[in-house]
Amino acid sequence: MSRATRTALVRDDRTAYEAAAGSAVGLSGIAFAVGLAALLGLVAIDAPVAGVGLSVALGAVLLALGAAVVGFGVASRTGYVDTGPQPSAGIVAAAAFTGIWVAVGAAASGAAGLGTGGRLGGGAVLGGVAFATTALPREDIGSTVPAGAVAGLCGLALISGVVGPGWEHALVGYNATLFGDTVVPVVVLFASLVTGWSAAKASGGFGARGRNVGAYVLIYLVVGSILAVLVGLVAFVAAKGLPGLLNGVSVGGAGLVSWPFLTNGAGLLADVAGVFPALVGTVWLVVGAVCFAVPTGVGAAVFLSEYAEQGRFTGAVEVATNGLWSTPSIVFGLFGAAFLIPRFGNQKSLIAGMLTLGFMLLPLVLITSREAILAVPDEYRDASAALGVSKWQTIRSVVLPAAIPGVTTGVILGVGRIAGETAPILLTMGGGVLPAKAAAPDVLGSFRLSASPPFVSNPALLEATSALPYQLYALITAGLSGNIRNPQEFAWGLALTLLLVVLAFYAVGIATRYYFRQKLHQ
Amino acid sequence: MSLTTPRTDWRASIERRLTRTRAFVDDADPEALAVILASMGSLLVAFVGFLLASAWTAVPFGAFLIAAGYGWVRHQALVARAVAFAMTTVTLVTLGLVVAFIFAESIPAFRYETASVFGVSVPGLGMFAQARWDAVSEPVRYSLLPMIHGTVMVTTIATLVAAPLGVAAALFVAEIAPPRVRELVKPGIEVLAGIPSIVYGFIGFTVINPWASDAFALNGGSTYLFVGMVVGLMALPTVVSVAEDALTSVPDVMKDGSLALGATDWQSMTSITLPAAFSGVSAAVLLGVGRAIGETMAATVMLAGVPRISDPLVNVFYGYETLTSLIARGYGSANGVHESALFAAGVVLFVTVLCLSVGSQYIEARMRRRLGGAE
Repeated sequence: MSRATRTALVRDDRTAYEAAAGSAVGLSGIAFAVGLAALLGLVAIDAPVAGVGLSVALGAVLLALGAAVVGFGVASRTGYVDTGPQPSAGIVAAAAFTGIWVAVGAAASGAAGLGTGGRLGGGAVLGGVAFATTALPREDIGSTVPAGAVAGLCGLALISGVVGPGWEHALVGYNATLFGDTVVPVVVLFASLVTGWSAAKASGGFGARGRNVGAYVLIYLVVGSILAVLVGLVAFVAAKGLPGLLNGVSVGGAGLVSWPFLTNGAGLLADVAGVFPALVGTVWLVVGAVCFAVPTGVGAAVFLSEYAEQGRFTGAVEVATNGLWSTPSIVFGLFGAAFLIPRFGNQKSLIAGMLTLGFMLLPLVLITSREAILAVPDEYRDASAALGVSKWQTIRSVVLPAAIPGVTTGVILGVGRIAGETAPILLTMGGGVLPAKAAAPDVLGSFRLSASPPFVSNPALLEATSALPYQLYALITAGLSGNIRNPQEFAWGLALTLLLVVLAFYAVGIATRYYFRQKLHQ
Repeated sequence: MSLTTPRTDWRASIERRLTRTRAFVDDADPEALAVILASMGSLLVAFVGFLLASAWTAVPFGAFLIAAGYGWVRHQALVARAVAFAMTTVTLVTLGLVVAFIFAESIPAFRYETASVFGVSVPGLGMFAQARWDAVSEPVRYSLLPMIHGTVMVTTIATLVAAPLGVAAALFVAEIAPPRVRELVKPGIEVLAGIPSIVYGFIGFTVINPWASDAFALNGGSTYLFVGMVVGLMALPTVVSVAEDALTSVPDVMKDGSLALGATDWQSMTSITLPAAFSGVSAAVLLGVGRAIGETMAATVMLAGVPRISDPLVNVFYGYETLTSLIARGYGSANGVHESALFAAGVVLFVTVLCLSVGSQYIEARMRRRLGGAE
């Protein structure tokens, strides 16, 4: 896509007006960040800033921002600066500001002690005014004055202490109370968003370019927050979980590295309680699910894309696959409980969990493998056919090897997804809350042959087994207590272990994809 | 366009298939044919044996392995094709089995909750016509309404979070981001999908719930508000990836035409790309809604676990139970009609999400047809 709005021609034309609007956007960003910090409890809203409380200071900033935004609009309308506004701010902005001002009016009338009728009336009046102000005048007024007024009002409320530290409002019917500690940051976040958008529009000179800038500011903010949430989540779990995970780790000695959290079970005899049985359970779970789902899924993908003609059958399979993909995991759990458990010894068992997760993995493998096989260029197949190679030989030695990168990536990502699933194994696999080391399944060593049907048996597969996500759930339902030294720390360590296992699958999957793509482009 | 009626069309297709099969049988080596028949037959017998929970299932399955293994050595191409076909049917069979078993297990509950309307007794109506769920004390009733209310609350809030943020992020990834940033953001959003729901639930249980209880002076910390937000965060990656696919499938010529006329990037997005990809984007939102409805563990861990309808109806500060958390919490300790009622909740979930999935596929298929025609 070309970047028409970022050419040097535009950039050189930066006037003082644009610079002022740009700094208003920046100030809104700072207010937003401070509001977020206050919401998360990192700073108190009555912390002293330049002699006044933070809440009052933020109010002053909002008031200034509101005045500035209105100023940008007026400066543009009076022709003081050269901008390119459109005749109206548009229906989207009008609807948004109407909604905002209806809420403001209703809240204000409610605070003034009016009843439901008064609230409706106040909301309707202010909403109507806001609609008229947004939709009727030219865009530079329509998209700044209502925005500046919102911010100014919020700022005044904070400065005057109408809403501030110690403020509280009981929501009577709801059995809940709003406190200044949460409302002030939310007000700041909201008002700074509005001024940020409005100032961004002004800095783009309104019109098409202004809208472009305004929308981009919001979209960048959304993407930034999503990434921040991701990083924050992982960092939070890591910070909370590392003490538990690294409890008693020592390097050197007989076994070179001793990592009791990963190699011990939980029990009275263990110095450091560990998650070994659950870890082994998860490994076997994944192995079992992969053994069932990968051959089946890849085989089905080969048949669908190489052999089958497009028709009713392939259509039905496609609908079924997508249906299975979106089926809630708890429904798979119910299915496993109703279908598999009675067929494997009438109790929760490792193999029931494996197959249930296999059923969940199947559509993921099928969809990604099919995409990978379809992405193999037809020229490969034609070239192979032109050499007189049979269809099956072509599939085996041309199509499948070319599709392997895509299939591998899909399988790894799918495995990452099911390794963290709790709901299905909760219903099918069970296991103890804090299993001892001896409870770790020994699948390979338990195969037995017998003379009576079913001739091959494996007690380890037929026993209830713990897995990392299940153990975390069981710990939570047990109230984070148990026969171990520090259940809280143990639970956070367990959560971190689970997160690392899953993220490792994702990292490997994404790296594989990246590697193969690099190779392809060489 | 053919002028034949569907019926003759059908007959013709069967005839065509028959002739083809006949030709195939004539062509094929009789031994290969025997091997395939033996392997597929024994696989079918093994499947039936498994369905009947027979201890002898291992025998036909072993026979299948031997036949297929022998065939692999002697007639690889044919056997590979037959086995691949068998694997393809697994998906259909699985879906069929899911439907059959969940519905079968839920029948007693539907029978128990029979209610009559206009003199006609409708099984299952009692689940939706009154609001009492109590499996222990008399009168024992299994209404799903409180849980449906919870699911609707959580899903609504989750959609309010996931739909706008997801579409904005999809626009960013598909249209705005420079290639290098995209390489960073896309895997990031994928990883967000990978964080296990129980980890979200654990954070919610240990951090968010106590905070909410404190910040709003609540009785207990279970809120639909924050469960909905967490679930929305979980549904977000689904919305982003599906919507991004839809946006990138809009042909570049359409966008280029708009840009060449001097439109800004945002104008091209709102007046060309988004309208062209509208059905795909709404399919993405539908799939996200499906994810939110089916999300289990975060809801189970964070909600109070009391089958109650909040008062007033839109009170987001208290969270009681959703369909998914009802099943996760209750299964295992339940038996008889109670257990069957949990399956009934599963049926409601399954049918809802399947409808959403089929609906979004239909929308997507329509979009692909339209864009294909526009090219």
